[in-house]
Order: sequence, then structure tokens, then C-alpha cells
Amino acid sequence: MAASTSTPNDTQSQSNPDESCLDISIFKELAKKALVDALNSVNGAKTLVLDPSLAGPLGLITEVALLKHHGVDKMFWLEPGPLTASTTNILYLCRPLIKHVKVIADQIKRHARESLHHTYTLFLVPRTSTLVTRILEEEGVLGDVTIAAYNLQFIPVAEDVLSLENDNAFKEIWVDGDETVVYDASQALIMLQKLYGLFPRIVGKGDYASKLAHLLLKQTSTTSTTFTSDNLLGKVSEKLDSLIIIDRRVDMITPMLTQLTYEGLIDELIGVTNSQVEIPASLLNPPSSQPGASSSTAPPTSPTTATAPSLTKEKKRKHHLTASTDPLFSDLRDLNFSFVGKKLNQVARRLEEDYKLRHQAKSVAQLRDFVGKLGGLQTEHQSLRLHTGLSELLVPMTRTEEFNKSLEIQQNLLASYEVNSQIAAIEDLIAQGADMPSVVRLLCLASIINGGIKTKVLDNLKREVLQAYGYKYIPLLLSLAAPPLSILVPNPLPPSIAQSLATSKYPYSSLRKSLRLLIEDPDPLEELENDISYVYSGYAPISVRLVQCVAQKNGVLSNPEKEKKAGEDSDGRKAGGKVQAHPIVGWKGFEDVISSVPGETVDIVQRIPGSTDTNLVPSAVSALLLPREQTTTSVVFFLGGCTYTEIAALRWVAKQSKGRNFLIATTGIVSGPSLIKSVAGTGKSDSGSQEAGL
Amino acid sequence: MAEHPTATWEALQDGNVFYRRHQVYSIHGKLPNLGDFIVAGCRYGGPIALMRDSSKLVALNTASAVFTKAQIQVYSPAGESLLLFSWDQGKIVKFGWTSDERLAVLNEEGVYRLYDLQGDYQQHSLGNEAAEMGIIDAKIHEGGLVALTGSLMLLELKGWEGAKPLTLANPGISQPPTSWAVIPPDLTISRHVEVLLSVDATVYSVDNLEATDQRLSRGPFSHLAPSPNGKSLALLTYAGILWVVSTDFQRSLAEFDTGKVPGAVGEVRQVEWCGNDAVFVTWDSTAVLVGPFGDTLQYFYAGPTFAVTETDGIRVVGPETCEFIQKVPASSVSVFRPGSTSPSAILYDAWENFNRRSPKADESIRNIRPDLGAAVNDCIDAAGREWEPYWQKRLLNAAKFGKAFLDLYDPTHFVNMGQALKVLNAVRFYEIGIPITYAQYLLLSPSQLISRLTARNLHLLALRISAFLSIPPNAVLKHWACAKILRSRPSATSSDSNLDDDAVCRSIVEKFEKVGGSGVSFAEIARKAWEVGRTELATKLLDHEPRASDQVPLLLSMKEDKLALSKAVESGDTDLVYHVLLHLQKRLPLGNFFRLIEEGGPQLAPASKLLQVYAREQNREMLRDFYYSDDRRVDSAVLSLEEAASSFEPTAKITSIKAAQKFFSEDKERSFEAKMMEENARLLTTQQQLEKDADGKIAFFGLSVNETIRTCLINGMAKAADRVRNDFKVPGKRFWYLKLHALTEIRDFEGLENFAKTRSPIGYQPFVHHLVQKGHTKEALNFVPKCDPHKRVDLYVECGEWRMAGKECKERGDKVKMDQLRKSCPNSLIARELEQMAASMK
Repeated sequence: MAASTSTPNDTQSQSNPDESCLDISIFKELAKKALVDALNSVNGAKTLVLDPSLAGPLGLITEVALLKHHGVDKMFWLEPGPLTASTTNILYLCRPLIKHVKVIADQIKRHARESLHHTYTLFLVPRTSTLVTRILEEEGVLGDVTIAAYNLQFIPVAEDVLSLENDNAFKEIWVDGDETVVYDASQALIMLQKLYGLFPRIVGKGDYASKLAHLLLKQTSTTSTTFTSDNLLGKVSEKLDSLIIIDRRVDMITPMLTQLTYEGLIDELIGVTNSQVEIPASLLNPPSSQPGASSSTAPPTSPTTATAPSLTKEKKRKHHLTASTDPLFSDLRDLNFSFVGKKLNQVARRLEEDYKLRHQAKSVAQLRDFVGKLGGLQTEHQSLRLHTGLSELLVPMTRTEEFNKSLEIQQNLLASYEVNSQIAAIEDLIAQGADMPSVVRLLCLASIINGGIKTKVLDNLKREVLQAYGYKYIPLLLSLAAPPLSILVPNPLPPSIAQSLATSKYPYSSLRKSLRLLIEDPDPLEELENDISYVYSGYAPISVRLVQCVAQKNGVLSNPEKEKKAGEDSDGRKAGGKVQAHPIVGWKGFEDVISSVPGETVDIVQRIPGSTDTNLVPSAVSALLLPREQTTTSVVFFLGGCTYTEIAALRWVAKQSKGRNFLIATTGIVSGPSLIKSVAGTGKSDSGSQEAGL
Repeated sequence: MAEHPTATWEALQDGNVFYRRHQVYSIHGKLPNLGDFIVAGCRYGGPIALMRDSSKLVALNTASAVFTKAQIQVYSPAGESLLLFSWDQGKIVKFGWTSDERLAVLNEEGVYRLYDLQGDYQQHSLGNEAAEMGIIDAKIHEGGLVALTGSLMLLELKGWEGAKPLTLANPGISQPPTSWAVIPPDLTISRHVEVLLSVDATVYSVDNLEATDQRLSRGPFSHLAPSPNGKSLALLTYAGILWVVSTDFQRSLAEFDTGKVPGAVGEVRQVEWCGNDAVFVTWDSTAVLVGPFGDTLQYFYAGPTFAVTETDGIRVVGPETCEFIQKVPASSVSVFRPGSTSPSAILYDAWENFNRRSPKADESIRNIRPDLGAAVNDCIDAAGREWEPYWQKRLLNAAKFGKAFLDLYDPTHFVNMGQALKVLNAVRFYEIGIPITYAQYLLLSPSQLISRLTARNLHLLALRISAFLSIPPNAVLKHWACAKILRSRPSATSSDSNLDDDAVCRSIVEKFEKVGGSGVSFAEIARKAWEVGRTELATKLLDHEPRASDQVPLLLSMKEDKLALSKAVESGDTDLVYHVLLHLQKRLPLGNFFRLIEEGGPQLAPASKLLQVYAREQNREMLRDFYYSDDRRVDSAVLSLEEAASSFEPTAKITSIKAAQKFFSEDKERSFEAKMMEENARLLTTQQQLEKDADGKIAFFGLSVNETIRTCLINGMAKAADRVRNDFKVPGKRFWYLKLHALTEIRDFEGLENFAKTRSPIGYQPFVHHLVQKGHTKEALNFVPKCDPHKRVDLYVECGEWRMAGKECKERGDKVKMDQLRKSCPNSLIARELEQMAASMK
């Protein structure tokens, strides 16, 4: 069994260099260069005022030292209140949001009143906006500000994940109807095409996915005619085989479920913002040095200050979760949490053995070898300590009644088992004072799966929610019920929105069969491990199944590993390892299933603009040759965000077949609570300390 | 046969360096006396602009009527008049050329205009500050200008798009500088503009951060001239000493006393650079070229001249000729220098021998065999440097001859040179009059050259050149179309004009299709048509524009509001939608504006949504009107709720909630929400009352029902809690949990005990769980006996009471459970006890 658990990791390490994913660090370099150019465009020392929501994304591409190197004297958060800057130049860096602009206008006016003279430059991310100009004009400070754009698009958050890091994308699209994100996404995807060539095929599901696809086509055709020399927009990519756009509305079930992979669970329970997690500082520092450090820093003359920190909660520190510096994390992140303990144990044992090797070192040369490995061992040791500590933090959280109860409700709802008693259980959770997002996500889940909740029951539940958490959540409930979101609706629907929704009822029960969403017999979890349902302990995310419908059709119908095993048994030998990925042929074979899911379906073959029929030949040829000749990458774009668990599931899919990698692109990483919070308008708000850091 | 290239060469530095003076055009009598004019020349073989110097006396006669008003004349280097316009906007302070060959004219009020060669202009201003202080001088470079204001401050303008000028560091001078110069930003180390001011004996260098005194003692200087690469600076003192230093004033490069130049009479007219390594000083009828080591060449002219510095030489416009003086390029030197034995010279010689059918050719080629590639390259390059097609051909032929002896030679360079020369010869033709050298052509880029041709309305030539060089003809076509629209003004009768519109539009579109101008922006052409008042034509042209971002602004200015909005929405670019919305909101009456959006239906829905997003933050009043006019009760209610959430004043809050309730109640499907709002308002009043009861010591206002009950319980207001519970019909389960949590929090275990006496709707298990979780195991124990018997064992274990758990097992006779207990118990002591119990069970 130990062998079976380690298989995925072994295959990962075995993978040939040419099978590796596209190198996406270029996006980081691009973003960094653009930032440096932006900073250098203003001469001399400058004060940087930073939109807190950009601090995280910027932290992923640069470090404070770089900013200082390019003349940033001090940094502040962009927040209401006066700004005291010691330099003449003030540089604002923010997203083009009205509230930010008002703060900026206010600060400029304040300086003017105090007759302080400053030069203001405003960098908008990702592009300049008429709206901002207009508001600055209305506030009467437009003349004082130089406006420019800092084009921050995709940021690599992992070696195969690109993110726009827009936390509110989901709310903006489906609640506000603000489609800016869709446009920004199309711009970012065009950038991707500029680097790697046109996507040979664009498939997608969902109304906004189709909007994005068509926008992308239009933009590509208009931009490619103007510049052709400096980019690859003029030719069809050889490295990419397709773009698969999944719009979050198509699969609202998955984010409403509690994620069960290691990284997903950290996000659910502790919260990951821009790949950074806040954990107690002691986990990051070796515990042995902790007391020594604190006693040395505390001045002995003032005992009051020395005791003060002990009274307050343990200090939290931000840690950047990344597989690039933390090899253990790349092994752990996609594991079901129930396996994490075992894996940690394995690693601990191996480490111990590795350390023991020093006793076997007899000659000087052996000793030197050991010392050479020591550095690696120590980093591994350090990361083992971190992850053991993190798991220890998580375990008690997964033991609470609320957690287990909601997990149980989710599983039962997915199986459509005793729906009414599940709803009663949700009501009990409200009574017990479970937190608002987890209750609301369960309600949404129940509503989606059952096509609404009986009006009377729903009204009662809503009343409970409002009484328990405050009447201020009535707009949230209204937003969740209103089209196009409609994930918490009464049954039967009120006549006013009935027509618009009648066709878009979510066909969960039929999908459950046709897409093999639930693995009926989930007791031997190891068996599941080869199917993507492993990540949710028995449920396969719809979004990823949809991707499989395009990129791994056999994986939808049956477990490829199981088939392989069967094949092995009959042949008595290993049948060449993994299954060769088939070429991308759109939704073929699943048209009926796909059309049953609400939302438009997209399947477009991109051709070189303005080319004649003769140019079709190479693409047809390449379609024939590609699967055998070289590994290609499918870009999966989640419009409206994706969860860590979906990323994990896609990684599993990639491991099951050779010849195809996935590059996951998203507007941001979301989780159930973060979605609900953003719809409620109580999203993450950084605690603003005056002086900013990254 | 043209004269040999070396005929125009003159040696400098003991024959190591040659300078050549080449007459480009003969312009006898075409230009007025330059001495009476202020002149500005454009680089890269561009035209010169002349304005009468009002400080000079002029003999008044019949021919000089032009002098009476401010006029600017523009002449090509070949002496052809390109443009003449008069100026009516205050006193001109300075004029100069931009990089795209437009003439920037700046007046003392800080207003500047950019004239293209057709006389069309754009007007911008340097702002109010500049207008108030007045501009006394300015320096115009290709990418912007620096103006000196009346208060002796420096204003920098970047680019020519009407940007806001930046104030540079205050130089702190009390009188205008005797002379000054600007080093353009792309030539300085800091990449920001640098200004050099000669004040008294020293020079200040000023950028946007600081003004540095360079601490010189040789000033004041009458002329300051930075070299074309910005690395060196030529200064001329009033005593006539020419001094060349590096621009950081660290290295003195050369010195020369201009007083010793024979024939130099009167004031020095100009100090200019000839390329990057020689300085050219001009007087009224003579000029001297000063090399890097102080050696000189002198030239004589029939009258005042004007010199334009080029990157590789200097162009001198005199009364008789327009000539070009440059250092002879290395490749030309190596081919043609008398006695040269370089491979390229030998190759050229070999080719000449070959033409003469002399066997020496073969011998020569053999000699230079290893260097043949380089020799061929040199010959190609030298061809590019020659002005006469005769020599160009000869050199290219020599290269071709040499090429034949090479096994592998990439002919790209050769082909490119051939093409470039064809283009250069065409534009150098006197009727075109762009005397551009090969080096300048490389710097300027072919597409810039083409745009210079189109600016002169030489569309056919431009089109042919772009086809010849396979450059997309878009820019040319666009310019052509605009020019065509301007020229083809419709005739007086209206029926005719319509026909004309169609014809013009068709001819433009057809031409574009024929020549392949697929990327041409129709919007810009349409705008031109609209600007000259041909709306019909503009609309027709706009239909051919694929890019919405280009269509929309014009549609807006044409007042095609609805079309503009729907095009913007179609484009998916939200910023564009905002652009239209905000524009319309400003222009239209509110009612019409709303109607426009509402009547758009689902197609304009995204616009409506965006308007709401904007208005929610910036203009709530308008949003309220918008919702009201559209009968959107629910949205109005939510808006009221948002206001309630943001107001801290209790009565205002309650009023807003009640308003929301009213809106909800007007929609019959929203009776639930209306009821909730009614509850909310009631809760708020209850809370006000509670606060009054607690003498304002406890904050209740704005809490949820749960929190209100909890706060009551924590503060010992149990009665009030019950009242709230009844008023809001809180279900038993929730109330029990609330009370359990609250009482545990204040450690009122006695109260908890009493509370538990009535039958609990949630059972007693939650009591145990919660108390254990909060660390009150002892108290938790009391509740275990109240729970279901079969759960008790586990609950005891939860409380850490293994013995009790054991006892419970024993009582129930549950052996399996007992075994489990024994296996999972924490220490051997308990294990032994459990074993004993297990043993006594039978």
C-alpha cells in the first residue's frame, strides 16, 4: 500500500524534462519589468502608496529590496486619512476602483490645503480607465495627477497555475454585472497567445465563457493585423493544444463543498491570500531558538514590555506557500488530508535515516558527501516541521462537530439522501451558531442540487439566518437568489423570474450519472486515488469532469488506472505506463451531457486571421502529429476563480496520461467562504498598518 | 562621369581624417537673406522654417510687404516653399521641429501649436501658471520642449500630446541666462531631460530633481551646444574662445580661439556640431570646422548661412547652395583613400581591372582572399555613403564581383542596400527635396521616411516606396484618404453631395481593398470627414471600422448616442462603456439618459449594470432616481439598506430601514423581505429601549437578534432576553444554544444548572461538548447523567473521566466498549483499574 501511495510522486519525479509544463516564470519577469519601468518613469526618490489588495500579488513578483533599489523611499497603504510624505514624488499604485480614487483625490486636496507641494503619479492596474479620469475631474484634481497604467496580468502562483489575483471577480461578474474582469481576462489571454501562439482550439462552457471566447477572438483578429512581427499572434501555437474556459457559474456545486486536499483545507480553515498563509511565528522559526530570541530582544530594564507580548495572542507571520522552495509542499498539497499524516510520517522516517547516514560515514570523503547533503536535509527538516505544525493546527479544526456535521450534510446532499433531514440539519447548525459562510454555502448547495428549496422552508431558514447573523445579510440573500446567479432559490420559483430560470435548472441528478460524479463505494480510499474524486473523498468536481470531457474522455467514463490495471492483468506486463492523451476534438462524445448543463457551449477552431484554405493543411497535419510527437499543454481558464482542490484534481488528470499537461489560469483562487463573503460584500480587508510591506 | 569622390575631401589631423563637403542642391535666389530671419531646421534632411527677426532692420520696399505681420515660411532644403502661414496669437517666443516633422510654435503666453506641412495645426497650452508668468524663452527638441518663464523657472513638456508641463528644479538665478541648452531625455544618463544654463561665469545643470552649479570660471558663454549624442558640449565665451567639454564637465576635450580665424567678421552666428566629433562655427560669410584636436577647416559663403546639425554631419543652407559637410565614413575612406591598401580598396581595384579585362584582377582577388568577405561588406557600405548613383553602382558592382568568389555569402545586406539606395535616390531628387544620408535613413527608419513623404502629400511615391520595401501601406492610405476627403468638397447642390459622399466612400474603400490596407483605421478617416462637416460620409466610413474603441468616440461626438452605447457594449470593453455612459450622463438630461439605457433592453443590460456600479459609489442620488424611474423596488430597497448600514445615527438608520420596508412591500413577491424589514425596525427600537434601560452602558444598537439575546444574558438581563426571544419568536433550539454559550462565557454555572432543569430541546450532549471545549470539564460532568445512556461512555471519556466511563460500561454490561476503553486509555494506571472493572463485570 505504501508503494501505491507513492506512485503519483514517483511518476512526477520521473517525468522527462520535455514533458514538463510551459515555463511560465516569464510572466513574473514581465510583471517585474513593467513595475521597474513604471517606477523609473518618475525620477528620484518617491513615496509609494499601495492598494492593499495589490500588496499580495506584488509580493509574488517582487520584493521590497527591488522597490527600494528603484527609488522607493517609503511605502504606505492606500487608505482614507492624511498622507505624510517626505519626498516630492508620490506614486499611487492601485486598481481602478472608485473608492481608491476618492481617497487619492482627498489626499491631494488635503496637501493642497496645507500648501504642500508634491508631484503625483497614479499607476492603474491593469490599465487606465475613463472612470478614474472622470472621478478625478469631478473631484477637481485631475490636473495634478499624471495617470499611467501598470499592466499586471497573469501572475504565476505555482509552476502550473497563473492567476489574475482578482479576489472579487466572481462577485463583479455575477452579482454586479460588471464585466471588466472578462475583458481583462481576454487581454491576459491575448498576452499568453502573444508568447506561445494562438490556441488551436477554444472550447468552453457557460454564458460568460462564451462571451470571453468571442471577445478573445475579436481582440485577436484586430490586434494581430496591426502587429505581427514582435509576437506570435500570427501563427497557431505548437505548444498549446487548446484553451478550455470554464465559467464558475457552470459548476457552483464544487466551491460550495469543503475542500479536503491539504492546500484546499488550509485555505478553508486558515485562509490563503495570494499564496500566503498566516501562521504562528513559532512554526517558521526553530522552536529552540524562540525563547532565546525573545529574551534577547526584550530589554531587561522594562519588564512590563517583556510580559506584554505573552499576554497577547501568539504573533502571526505570513508564510509564502510555494513548491519552488519547499519540495515537501509539492508532494503534500494535492493529497487528501487523510493521507497527509502518513506522508509526513514517511518523510520523517526517511529524514531520520538520512541523518543516520552520518554514523556510517567512515572515510573523510564519505563525511564530505554527507556534509554536502546536510543543507538539503536541513531545509527538508525545516519544511517537515512547518507542515507537521500546520497539520497539527488543522487536525483539531477538522474534529469539530460543525466541520464534521457540514461534511456529512454535503455528502448526503450529493447523494440526494434524505434531503429534508439535511435541511433540518442545516437549521440545527444555525441554532448552534455555526459561522455564516458555512451555513450559507450549505443552503446554496441544497438549493442547487434540489433545484430550489420549498418556499416555506426556505423563508423559515432565511429568517433564521437573518436573526442569527443580522438583518444586514438581506442583500446577500437577494443577490444569491437573483439571476444570473440564482443559487439559493425557492421552489417553485416566483413567477417574475421563473421564465428566465426555467431552462437553466441545474440537472444535477442526471449529471451525477453521466459524468460519474460520485464514486458509489468510497471505502477503500486508495482505489479512488487514481480518479479525481479522490480530492473530495468520493466526489469528482463537475468543472474538472467537464475539462476531462475535452481532454481525457475515457477518464469521464471510467477510471483510467483501473482499466490499466485490468489490462496489465490480462497482458501480464506493464502496458507502456500511462495512456497517451488523445487530440483535442472539442466536446465530441459528450454533446448531450454538455447541452444539458445551463449556459452556452463554445467550440471554436482558431485559424490564422486572413489566411486562405491552403493554410488549413498544416493545422490538420499538426493535429495528427502532435499527440505522438510532442507534449502539448492545455490551458484551462476558470472565469470567476477556482479552488485549490480543482487545481489538485487537474494535476491528477495530467498525471494519468502522457503527452498533455495542464496550465491552469484563473481570475483568482477562491473557496466557498471567500465566495460567500465577497458576495456579501464583507471580503477580506487587510488590517491597515500605516507603513506597508509586502 | 561624375567627379571622383575624393575630389570633395579635405584632410584633417595630418591626413588621418577626411571631411567632405558635398553640394546637395543649388538654391540660388530661392531663399531670402537668412541674416534677416530667425531660422529653425529639422533634422534628417527636413525643411527649415523662417520668421523675420524683428530686431533686425530691413529696407522697406514693395517686395517686403510680407514683413508687416508675423509670418512663418517653411522651405524644403532644395529651396522650395512648402508652407506659409501667418500667426495671430501673441508674440512668438520660439519655434522648432518635432521628430515627426511638425513645426512647434510657442508664444509668450505658453500657447503652442503644432503645424504639419499642410498647415493644419493642433493647439495646446502649457497651463495657467505659464500664461501668468509669461514665457521668455524656450528650447524645442524633437520629443518636447523646455520653457523659461518670466519668473526664471523651467517648465518641461514631454511629448506633443498636450501633456501637463512639469516644473524642473529651481535654478535659483536672478537674471535670464546668457545662453542655454537642453539635452533631450533619451541622451542623458538619467533618461530625464537636462538643462544647461550659462549664468555669469558658470553653468548650471538642472534636471527635475536638482540644480547643480558646475563651478566654472570661464563664462559667461554666448553659445552652448550639446553634441547629437549628448556626450559633449561646445561652449563659446564672449571672448571668442571655443571650448569643448564632456557634458558632465569632467573632461576638457578641446579649445580653440575663434578670434584667429581669418575673415571672421562680426558676431558668431551659430555654434553647431558636425556629427559627434567636430564643431562648426559660423559667421556671416564664413564658417570654420574645428576638429577634436583643434585643427580646422574653413569654408566661405556668399552670405549668411544656416546650419542644421545631423547625427553624422551638418547641413548648411547658404544663399547659393544647400550643402552637407561630414566626416568621410570609414568604409569610404578605406575604399577611396589615395594609396589605400585595404582589402576593399583592392577589391574595387580588382573590379576595375576586371572591367578592363586585365589579369591583375585575379591576382588582386587572390591577395585578399581571406578578407574578401569583409571587403565586400565594406564596398556595400561605401556604396551607401555615396551620393552619386554613378559611384553607388560602381561600388555595388565591385561588391557583386567580390561576392562571386565567396562560397557562402548572405546576400541580404547587398539586397537591402540596393533597395535603400533606390529609395534614397528617389527622395533626394530635388523636387522631393529630402537630402537624407544612409546613416540618417537607418536612424530615422523607413516608415518614418514614408510618413514624411505623406506629410508632403507625396502619396504615390510613399505608396510605391512602402510597396517596394514591403511595409504595410496603412499610414499612407490613411493620409491619402484624409487628403482626398479634404479635397473633394461637395458641390453646392444637395443631391449632388449625397452622390459625392457615396462615391468618395466607395473610392476609399475600394482603394484600400486593392492595395491591401486591411489594418487602416477607418475611424480616423471618418473623424476627418466629420471635422470638415461631412457627417454622412463619416457614418458611411465608420461602418467599415472593425475596432469599437475607435468607432465609439467619433459616434459620441457625432451625437449618435444609442449607436455609440451599443457599439461600446458589443466591444466588451467596460472602460469604453464607461466612457460613453459618463459622457452621455454629462450631456443628456437625466430622464433622456435613463430612457436611453432602459429602452436598450437586454442588449444594453451590461451598460445599465455598470452605471449602477459607478453610481453606487459616486452618485447615489442619481441611482435612486434611476431605480425609481424604472420601478425597481427591490434595488431601491437594497439601496436604502446600504444607506442604513452606513449611517450611524439611530433615527436615520431606522428611517432608512423603514424606507426599505416600504419598497419591499410595494413588490408583492417580496412580502418576506418586507416582513423582515419590519422585524429589523422593531429590533432597532427594542435595542434603543434596552440601551435606555441599561443607562447607555451597554451597546445594543445594530446587533443581530442572537447577539442581542446574548448581550442581555451576559449582562444579567435574563428577563429582557426572554422578552426579545418571545418578541422575535426565536425557536427553542437556537435560544438554548445561545443561553448555553452565554452562560458558559460568564461562568454562571449555577444559572446553567437551573436553566437545564427545564427540558432541553437540544438534549444535554451539547452542554457537555461545549463545556469541555471551553475547558470546564468538571462542570460538564454534571450533565453527562442527563444524556442518552448509550452516549454516556464516550461523553465521560471526553471529560477525561475514564473511571466513570468504565463504571458506565460496567453498569450497562457493555464489554466491547470496555475493551475499546482499555485499548485507548492514556496510562497504565487507568488501564489497570479498567481491567479490574472488566474482570468484575461477569
